Amino acid sequence: MPKVIVPPPYRGPTGGRGEIQVEGHTVLECLEAVEKDHAGFLAQIVATDGTVHRFVKLFRNGDQITGDALGEKLAPDDELEVLAAIAGG
Amino acid sequence: MSGPTGDKMIRVDMTNQTAEVVDFPDEWKLLGGRALSAKILLAECDPTCDPLGPDNVLVMAPGVISGTAAPTSGRISIGGKSPLTGGIKEANSGGQPGQHLMKLGYRVVIVKGQPADANARYALEVTADEVKVVAADAHKGKWNYALCMDLHGQYPKTASFITCGPAGELRLAGASVATTDQDNRYPARHAARGGLGAVMGAKGLKYVMVDPGRASVRQPADRKGFGELCKTYTKDYLDGPQMFKTGTSSVVPVANMLHTFPYKNRVEGQSPDAQTLDGARIVESFETRGGEMHNCMTGCIVKCSNIVHDAQGEYKTSALEFETLTLLGANCAVASWEDVADMDRLCDDVGLDTVETGAAIAVLMDAGQMEWGDAEGMKKLIAEIPDGTDRGTAIGNGGVATGKFTGHHRVPHAKGQSIPAWDPRPLKATGVTYCTSPMGADHTAGLIVNPGLPPEQFAWESQKVQLVNAVCDSSGFCQFLQPTLDDIRAFYGALYGEEISREAIHDQGWECLEDEWAFNERAGFGQDDDVLADCMGQDPINGQVFDVPADVIAAAKQRMPAQEDLFTVKASG
Repeated sequence: MPKVIVPPPYRGPTGGRGEIQVEGHTVLECLEAVEKDHAGFLAQIVATDGTVHRFVKLFRNGDQITGDALGEKLAPDDELEVLAAIAGG
Repeated sequence: MSGPTGDKMIRVDMTNQTAEVVDFPDEWKLLGGRALSAKILLAECDPTCDPLGPDNVLVMAPGVISGTAAPTSGRISIGGKSPLTGGIKEANSGGQPGQHLMKLGYRVVIVKGQPADANARYALEVTADEVKVVAADAHKGKWNYALCMDLHGQYPKTASFITCGPAGELRLAGASVATTDQDNRYPARHAARGGLGAVMGAKGLKYVMVDPGRASVRQPADRKGFGELCKTYTKDYLDGPQMFKTGTSSVVPVANMLHTFPYKNRVEGQSPDAQTLDGARIVESFETRGGEMHNCMTGCIVKCSNIVHDAQGEYKTSALEFETLTLLGANCAVASWEDVADMDRLCDDVGLDTVETGAAIAVLMDAGQMEWGDAEGMKKLIAEIPDGTDRGTAIGNGGVATGKFTGHHRVPHAKGQSIPAWDPRPLKATGVTYCTSPMGADHTAGLIVNPGLPPEQFAWESQKVQLVNAVCDSSGFCQFLQPTLDDIRAFYGALYGEEISREAIHDQGWECLEDEWAFNERAGFGQDDDVLADCMGQDPINGQVFDVPADVIAAAKQRMPAQEDLFTVKASG
C-alpha cells in the first residue's frame, strides 16, 4: 500500500500522525483515502476547484510531481510526500 | 589549519565619543551573533539598568560564518536590554553590514555609555584603516530612507549602514535598527523586535557606516572542505523545492487555513481578506509594475525578499513579509496588500517594528479609538509618530503601552512583547516558546507549526527548536535557509579545521539560552512571568484557547537529553 507522508502543519486532522498507509492507485485516491479516516485533511491539499493548492508541493519517492499531479499513478510501495510552505517572515 | 585569525572587536564609549579596537578572544571564536551578544550582555551589562540609560550595552554581532563564501550566511544580531520587555533581547537582520564587518575581521561592536547632551547625534565609521566616532548632528531626526540617500552621497559606494530612525531617536520601545540591503541603498532590513532602535537612539548613535573597501571573503582553515560544503549545500538547496522562492508573504493562505492569520486584534484566527492580502498578489504585480524577488545580502541563495513597486512602477518597499501582512493587515482588518505595503514603507522609514506597530494599532481599534480597516488613518498615525503626539507615542511604544493609553485590557503579548502572527492557541507548542523564550513572544525564537502535536511533546519540541534557532542565529545563517545543527557544525568544523561534535553544538545552543535566562532572572523575571496574556487563555479561536499547564511550560526550560532529531531538524522561524 502506498504511504502518505503528512507534513507537521497538516497533522491537525490526522491527530499528529505523520505517516499513513492507504489503499489507492493514484495520488488523488490516496489523498481521499486519508480523508476518509481524517476529515479535513484533503481540503488542505486540494482546492474547491479540484486543483492542488499552489502553496502545496507533492513528491513521489522524493521526486516532485508536476502537471496533473492528482492523476499520477502510484505503485503499492510508493511514498507520497506532501510539503507545505511555512515561513515566519 | 587555524582558520581566520587576528580578529578584532570594536568598543565604543558614547559618553566620551571614543572607539577602540581590541583583540577578539580566541576562546570566543565559535561564538557569534546571538550567543556572543548574550555572553557579552551577561558579563558587561547590569540587568537591572535603565534600558535607555548609559548602563545599557548595545551589541552588534555578525554570525560566526558571516563574511565567508557560505551561502545565505551574512546575518547580524543586534542585542541589548530591551526597553519593551525589560529583559535581554536579540534581534536578527539580513542586509550587508554583517558581511562587511566580518570581511574586515570585526567580530562585534560593543557600544556603551551615553552622551551628556541628549540632543547630540554621532556616527561610528568603520573602515579597514580606522574606526572612529564622528559628529552627526546634521542627520538628527532624519527618516531612514532620506538618511541613507544622504549617506550614499557622503561615503563610498561600497559602504553599508546600520541606522536609527526617528522612532529610535525618540526612544520608543517599538523602534527597530535598520540595515541597508545588498545594493547598500535601502534601509529595508530591520532588527525589528524588542525596541533596540530605542537603545541605539538613547546612545545618540544615529548610524554606523561600514566600508569594507576591497576586503575579501574570510578564508577557512580547510579551504577544500569548506568549498565542497558550500557547493554541495547550495546545489541541494537549489535542487530542492525552494519553498521560500516567492517570499514569506505567500504563506498567507496556509496560515489562514490553520487559523493563525489573526483578525481584529486576534478575536478570530481567519481573515475574510486572505485572498487580497495573499503574497501571490504581490508576485502577480511584478509583471505590470516591475519588482522582483531578490537577495537582501550578497551570497544569498534563498532570495525570499520581494521588491514591491507602486502602481507607477516605482520602488515602494522590500521585503513585504507575512508577519507584516498579518499584523498591519488582517489583525487591523485592512484588506489591501497595497495599503500594507505603504505602511511597511512608513515603518521602515520611521524605524519601527511592523509586528509591534500593527499589534498596537489593533489594540487602539479594539478600544474603539479608530475604525477597523481604516488604512488611511493608520498611515497618518504612523507618520505622526516622529512628531511625538500622545497617540503616536503610545503606538510607537507598542501594544502594552497602547493598552495603558486606551485603558483597554485585551493586549495579546508575552513579557510585554506583542504576539506575532503565529497564534499560540492552534499552535500550542509555539505558545510554549513564547512563554519560555528569553525573548518574549517571538516566533523566530522557535516556531512549531504542528497543530496535531500531542501535548506530551510540547516541551521537547519547543526546547529543540529554541536550541536550533539559537545556534542558527549565532551562526550568521538565515533561518530561511533552514540549516540543521549538523549542517552548522560541519561549516564551523571546516572554517576552523577542527571537529565540532554534536555534544559541543548542543552545549553551545543551551549555553546561549542559559545566559539569556540568567540575564532575565537577574533583571527580576521569575517563573510567574513565563505566561501569555490572559486573553490567550480566555478567548478561543476555532474552539481553542492556550491552556498548556505550567509544569509543561516549565519543562521546556529544563535541559533534556538530546534526541537524534535535534541535529537533523531544520531551523524554523
